[in-house]
Amino acid sequence: MTFITPDDSGRAHRPWPLDFFPFVISPAEWQLLEKGLAQRARLLNEMLVDVYGDRRVLNEGRLPAGALFGTPQFLRPCSRIELRDNHHVHFVAFDVGRSPDGRWWVLSDRTEAPSGAGYALENRIVTSRSFPDLFDEHNVQRHAGFFRAFSDHFLSLAARDEPLAVFLSRGPHKHTYFEHSYLARYLGFPVVEGSDLAVRDDRLFLKTVEGLRPVDLVMRTVRSEMCDPLELRADSTYGVPGLLQAARAGNVVVGNSLGSGVVESAAFSSFLPVLCQFYLGEKLTLPSVATWWCGQAEPRDYVLDNLDKLVVRQISTTRSLLAQGQDGRVPGNGKGSDRDRLVEQLRFTGHDFIAQETVTLSTAPVWRGDGTLCPVPTVLRLFVAVTDDGYRVLPGGLARASIDAVPHTAWLAADDISKDVWVLADQPVDDYVTLADRLDPNHLRRSRANLPSRAADSLFWLGRYIERADAALRLLRSLVMRLGGEMASSRHLVTPERIISLLIAQRHLAPRRGRRAIDEGRDGVKRELWAVIFDPESRDGLATVLNHVRRNAEAVRERLSVDAYRALTELTELPRKRVRTLQPDIEEALSLLNRSIQHVAAFGGLVLENMTRNFGWRFLDMGRRLERVRTTTQSIRHLTVRGDPEEDGSLELLLELADITMTYLSRYHSRPHLPQLADLLLADESNPRSVVFQLKAVSDHLEHLARPQEGEVLGRDQQIAIRLISDLRLADAFALAETVGRFGARTHLHRLCRQLDQGITEMSDYVSHRYFSHTEARRLRTSDVLRDLES
Amino acid sequence: MMIYQVQHRTTFRYEQSVSVSQHVLHLMPRDTERQRRLAFDLSCTPQASVASLGQDYFGNWRHHAAFERGHDKLTIDARSRVEVVDPSQNLPATSPWEDVLAATQDPRFADVAEFTFDSPYAEGSVDVLRYAESSFAPERNILEAATDLTTRIHHDFEYQGGVSDVSTPVGEVLAMQKGVCQDFAHLQIACLRALGLPARYVSGYLLTRPPEGRERLVGADASHAWVSVWCGAGGWVDFDPTNDVLPSVEHITIGWGRDYGDVSPINGFIVGGGDHAIEVAVDVRSEDASS
Repeated sequence: MTFITPDDSGRAHRPWPLDFFPFVISPAEWQLLEKGLAQRARLLNEMLVDVYGDRRVLNEGRLPAGALFGTPQFLRPCSRIELRDNHHVHFVAFDVGRSPDGRWWVLSDRTEAPSGAGYALENRIVTSRSFPDLFDEHNVQRHAGFFRAFSDHFLSLAARDEPLAVFLSRGPHKHTYFEHSYLARYLGFPVVEGSDLAVRDDRLFLKTVEGLRPVDLVMRTVRSEMCDPLELRADSTYGVPGLLQAARAGNVVVGNSLGSGVVESAAFSSFLPVLCQFYLGEKLTLPSVATWWCGQAEPRDYVLDNLDKLVVRQISTTRSLLAQGQDGRVPGNGKGSDRDRLVEQLRFTGHDFIAQETVTLSTAPVWRGDGTLCPVPTVLRLFVAVTDDGYRVLPGGLARASIDAVPHTAWLAADDISKDVWVLADQPVDDYVTLADRLDPNHLRRSRANLPSRAADSLFWLGRYIERADAALRLLRSLVMRLGGEMASSRHLVTPERIISLLIAQRHLAPRRGRRAIDEGRDGVKRELWAVIFDPESRDGLATVLNHVRRNAEAVRERLSVDAYRALTELTELPRKRVRTLQPDIEEALSLLNRSIQHVAAFGGLVLENMTRNFGWRFLDMGRRLERVRTTTQSIRHLTVRGDPEEDGSLELLLELADITMTYLSRYHSRPHLPQLADLLLADESNPRSVVFQLKAVSDHLEHLARPQEGEVLGRDQQIAIRLISDLRLADAFALAETVGRFGARTHLHRLCRQLDQGITEMSDYVSHRYFSHTEARRLRTSDVLRDLES
Repeated sequence: MMIYQVQHRTTFRYEQSVSVSQHVLHLMPRDTERQRRLAFDLSCTPQASVASLGQDYFGNWRHHAAFERGHDKLTIDARSRVEVVDPSQNLPATSPWEDVLAATQDPRFADVAEFTFDSPYAEGSVDVLRYAESSFAPERNILEAATDLTTRIHHDFEYQGGVSDVSTPVGEVLAMQKGVCQDFAHLQIACLRALGLPARYVSGYLLTRPPEGRERLVGADASHAWVSVWCGAGGWVDFDPTNDVLPSVEHITIGWGRDYGDVSPINGFIVGGGDHAIEVAVDVRSEDASS
């Protein structure tokens, strides 16, 4: 498992740091925590109902107005939206810590877009696998029941039977993506991004390859203000314009409700005991860390007098100021000017600041690399979700052991270590209950539709780029093989120059670089070639196509099997892993190319064997096959339309590139001739590398994708496929090989290749237009422009 | 008593077809103590696929309109007929501004306290506070102080279009001493809030008069903005820093919010479209010929 740390600008994937010693909580202690956290979840929910509703709490003077109105997360457009079950908070996380005297404190409330539950699940799977006996003997409480109860309740909020719930994410480039998609997969909700969704007629839809499908429920991991660029933050690219209106119209349930982040504000912390009495008529069982809100004179003066002992935080930025020390202690030597500035800010906009007492966190043992155990301050992230029976607490969670255990710091700093949390029960716990049990045992579920257009788009281009990479690798390998001293044998008559011109034609080499290589002879060829193969930064090298492979693969990661994804990762990482100090040589180049070709083959094999034959697979496969038609016809055209390919080694090269040398030899027992080769490579329907074979497969995909209700008999894309297939079937191999006219060009062959090339370009465009047409060229918020036109 | 007819027509022309556009409109005048809406008509070309009317957080009327068929031109035409019932503002009993400040802490006025905090387009600073303070001598009457601030802004700042845009911060407007009505309104709001006083942004129209001896030009008016200041239990009083007047017979209110962002007349989101041109024509006409 890997993750991306929030501060990693390079987005490097790091291995997930998991300590094998679980954080253990006894049954008695857990009861206390469980009760306190469920109460807190109820309280936060009641607060939200009130602040986005009648605001009794302000009118009755229990909360100063500034604590609410001074908080940027209070989103006014989210007011007075009717809720289907009166719940704003569906899933909430709390960071809790234990002081050395054994008391528990809540360090922060996370109602906005709580993360960590996916990691908790993953940690549980790893640790329970590592210590199966320990796990059973000690009656460790399971997780599945909690998630199942949450999911059952959430789905029941939909107005339809068979509802569609989606998991709204910010996409694979965000550090939380992995764990969100893990959780989503566990719950069975498809992961979507804002651009996968659209609001029409005040309803929310998922844009799929089969058109718009209504969405009933959204579990969001995108912050509220980013969720609707029409009514909330206009600059957000993660949201869905109109989502708020759809929620207002009661057509979609968003969990947690839009705007629910307001109660995360630390401004509320000091008022929670009062608010708990006010809303629930109960005493708050789990206290927050002592907090002073600086929006009122008295607490502000206390804070100003005790700056050295407190951590001051700005509410609107959630950054901590003057708090770089260990355990969140304010360093006594706050720099003079910073301190003066802070004092001024506290006086001027006090409502935007809180100060908190620091808590010394108790420690948990962490296994160190040198084989010793070391005590490290630890914070727990615990989760509460609403179920049919009210709020329920996940028995377990995520422990974060951190040398710099400053509450509120970015989740999981670079050198933090995570731990599983084991909550023990007095009695043996039920055996594994998994989410799958929710399904009716008599109900079989075949592969689901709902393929978002964006995912289809990425799969299609993943297919195209993986095939393009394969073609480039094979071409480069053929070139490298012809550079060695032994390679100048009669079997390899084609000169490096011709291969270079082919590389240029297929855009794997910049013309400038190619010409330079040819002009300078073998040394020049080698120098440019090494750059193309080995330089990860080269703009016209292998790296470019591999980057496309990686980007598209990341976008559909959760649709590929773990092994298939790994094959792609290894393929794209390969050139980067090389030790750069050594001057590359032919042997190393061949080894790298061979291994890369094997990774591509492994990916292809895994897809062939393991991937469900759903629409996603069809787009991936169609991309590969269209690209294969393109590279094959280009090679044929380039190597055989002119000259004497039977004599200059071009045909051998073509067989090599298509990997059908053996097929040809076993069929014809002779050196290659053009008519026979053209037949085998273009029109032989039994040859899985032939052009017609690819087109038949594409035609089959198009037939399955086409929507029968559309009235038109055949789509334009299908028409092209059928026409090209018949062109190939009708082609006369001997006529193709004939030269015509003064210049000795093979006009028939040239025309056929050109038709194929144009045909697949047109098909590709048509497929894009028809299935991926979500591409939104431009979004514009008009109020910004309009303002210039006012007086 | 005056009756006005207002036409506010906005036309968008797009270079390429727009497949979907959604708009939130604040075009229908709300009823206030001073004015009553007699009629309102909203017509869009092409016709909206979905249109709904509701009240926003501040009680303003908000239309939500979506256009889901391709279009390369969109016209939103709002026509209102508004009666200004009481041309003079009911000026409340006067009190020192410090008393108003103290009253914002009273839970009974919690809703008012909302307008004492910074908002995205009206952010205070120490400089803004300094500028405001010279109008607010200790114990000075709130109406007098607010009027003085209005006059000073009118006097110190030059009305000039094109020097600022929606993202120009108040601090910058203060430094260059130029801007348009929104800038002056935002500045005055920021000044009042820096002192802790509640101030809101009012969006509306202003009856304009042609220069002496000229015909009135139809459509040459514009939408306008001014501020409203809470003067204690007596309520809200409007001030227009652009014209240095207390809005009375010639100001028509559409709605109010913390700043422009809460009540911009048309706030839309489009998909597609390429380059675009926008045209706005506002026409405010008095039905009473004698005016």
